[in-house]
Amino acid sequence: MDVFSFSRGPLEPARWREALADPSCGGYASFEGWVRDHNEGRRVRRLEYEAFEALAIKEGERIVAEAIGRFGVTRAACVHRVGDLALGELAVWVGVSAAHRAEAFAACRYIIDEVKHRVPIWEKEHYTDGDSGWVNCERCAAAAHDHDHEPAHADEHGHAHPDVAADRRGHGHQHHSSAPAVPAPVSPADYSRQIALPEVGAAGQAKLAAASVLVVGAGGLGVPVLQYLAAAGVGRLGIVDGDLIEASNLHRQPLYGPADIGRAKAQIAADRLHGLNPGVRVEAHPTHATAENIDALVAKHDLVVECTDNFRAKFLVSDAVVRAMKPAVFASVHQYEGQLQVYRPLPHWPCLRCLWPDAPRDGMVGNCAEAGVLGPVPATLGALQAMAVLKRLLGLDGGEAPSLVTVDLLTLGTRRLIARRDPGCDHENPGPAATVDEAPLELEFTTLAEAFESGLELVDVRESWERAHDPPGLQIPTHLPLSELVHGHSEFPAAGRYLIICAHGVRSLSLTEHLRALGQSDVYSLRGGLAALRG
Amino acid sequence: MNDIEVQYFAVLRERAGTARETVSTAAATAAELYDELAARHEFGLPRAMLRVAVNDEFADWSRPLAAGDRVVFIPPVAGG
Repeated sequence: MDVFSFSRGPLEPARWREALADPSCGGYASFEGWVRDHNEGRRVRRLEYEAFEALAIKEGERIVAEAIGRFGVTRAACVHRVGDLALGELAVWVGVSAAHRAEAFAACRYIIDEVKHRVPIWEKEHYTDGDSGWVNCERCAAAAHDHDHEPAHADEHGHAHPDVAADRRGHGHQHHSSAPAVPAPVSPADYSRQIALPEVGAAGQAKLAAASVLVVGAGGLGVPVLQYLAAAGVGRLGIVDGDLIEASNLHRQPLYGPADIGRAKAQIAADRLHGLNPGVRVEAHPTHATAENIDALVAKHDLVVECTDNFRAKFLVSDAVVRAMKPAVFASVHQYEGQLQVYRPLPHWPCLRCLWPDAPRDGMVGNCAEAGVLGPVPATLGALQAMAVLKRLLGLDGGEAPSLVTVDLLTLGTRRLIARRDPGCDHENPGPAATVDEAPLELEFTTLAEAFESGLELVDVRESWERAHDPPGLQIPTHLPLSELVHGHSEFPAAGRYLIICAHGVRSLSLTEHLRALGQSDVYSLRGGLAALRG
Repeated sequence: MNDIEVQYFAVLRERAGTARETVSTAAATAAELYDELAARHEFGLPRAMLRVAVNDEFADWSRPLAAGDRVVFIPPVAGG
C-alpha cells in the first residue's frame, strides 16, 4: 500500500492493518479520526473534504518517512478520506507497526498531528441550520504549530483550535484501537537543564551517554534509581529482578500500576523506561542475581547499583564488584531509616563485608515485608543512589571519604560515618568461606498437604498477625514466631526433623541456615514459602 | 562515670523505644557500653551482627570511651 493516500470510498482499516504486519513487530498502534456533530458551538450535519492531491500526497509521504526515521518504527501508513462524509464516518486513519509499543504510539501521534498541521486539506462543514463554511488545515497551524511544545492532546480530526486540551474532555471522537492513552510525540531528549551545570556541560553529558549501569533490584530503591538514570541519559541500563509485580509493591514503586500485577518486574520497568527516554538502551534480566549469573552481568557494565531487599543479594553483588574492581552504590532501608554506601575499587575503600564481616542473615533484622515501610523512604535513598551514580560517572565525588551515610526520615537527620577497609577482608578473593553441605537447604512442595505427608514436622515461623488471615484447615499447628527466636524468648527444638515455613521462604531459609550452622542437620526451608503453594 | 550520647538505628531503635539518649555509664569500651544497654533494653541482636561508630567513625568494639563521646549502634538493614 502507499504510505500516504486519499480514498473516495469508506476507509478500510482492517485491510491496511494487515499490510503493516511483520514478524519483527510486537506492537501496532492506530488512530482514527471521525466526523463529529459539532464545532465551536455549531451543530454539524455532514462534512466535505477536498485536497490538492499532488501536493498533499508529497507532504503526507514526507511526514510518514519522518516518523519512521524519527521513532525507528517498522511500517507506517496514513489514509485520508475525500468527498462527502456523514456523521460518525471515518475521516482519517493512521497505522504504525513497530518492535515495541512505545515507538508505535509515538509515531502514530506524530503522523496525525503533522498531517493535520501540514497537509493541504480543506474541510467544508455543513451545519444543521443550513449554513456551511470552509475550514482548512492552516487554521490549526497557528494553534499548534510546534507540536514538541504543545500540551498533550488528542483533538478530533478537522477541529483543532487553541483550547484543544479543554476540547478533548467534552467529546470522545478520537479513537485509538490499541490503547486510549498515547504519550506526547517523542523528541530527542533535552538535557539542557543538566548540561547548564558548569560541572556537567556537553562533555559530562557525553560521559553519561557512554556509561553503562547495572541496577540489581527494581523495587522501592530501584524505581527512582532507574527513572533518574534513564531520564539523565545514561546510555545503557541493565535491570536485574526476578520478581513479579505484587499489589503490595505499588505504594512504594509507583513506576508500576495495578494492571502490572503478576507481570515480570524487570520487563515492565524496561518498557516504562523506554517510554521515558527512548534514547536509552535498556536491557531486562527477569531473573534473580545468583552466584552463577552475577559476574557476567557485572562484567557488561561500568557501575552497579544494588537495590534489592535481601542480604544474600547485597553480599553477592559486593563480592562480584570487588572481584571485577568496579564501583557500586548500595542502599537499604528499615522502616523510616536508610543506609547508603558507595564502594570504589581503591585500596582503602571498604566493601560490604568489611563493614559487616559476619554476613547478616535475612529475616534476622527485618525487611520491608516484615518491618513495614513508607514509600518516600526507599524513594529518598534511591534518589541518593542515583545522585551517587551521576557523581561517580561525572567525576564529582573526588573528595569523598569512604563512609556509610545514615538517613532518618522521621527527624531528617543524616550522619556520615567514616568507614575503613577491614584488613582481614580479602579483596583478592572475596566471598564467604566455602561450606560443604550435603543436604539441600530448601525443599519444594506444591501443596501444604504434600508437605504434611513428607514426614517432616512443619514449623510456622511467621508472626502471629500474619497467621490471623490463614484459612481454617490450612493452619500449621507448630508456631514459633521468628521474633521470639531472635530475641531469645523461645528456642528452636534441637531434636527432630523440621520443615520451616514462612510467607515467602526468606525468613525460613535464613533460620535454616542458622540452625545448620549450629550443627542441626535435619532442618529444611520451604522454598518460596506459603506464597509458592497451590491450594 | 561518663556521660555518653548514644544513638540507635533500626531494630535497636524500636527495641529501645528511642532514637537517642544520653547515658551515664562506667563502661570503659564500646563493647561494655553495648552489653550494658543490651541488658537494659533487652536487645536481642548479638554484638557480632552490629557495628559501632564513635564520633562519626566506625570503631572496634574495644575502643575506649571518653566523656562526651557520640556513640552510634548500627545494625545492617536489608529493606528495599
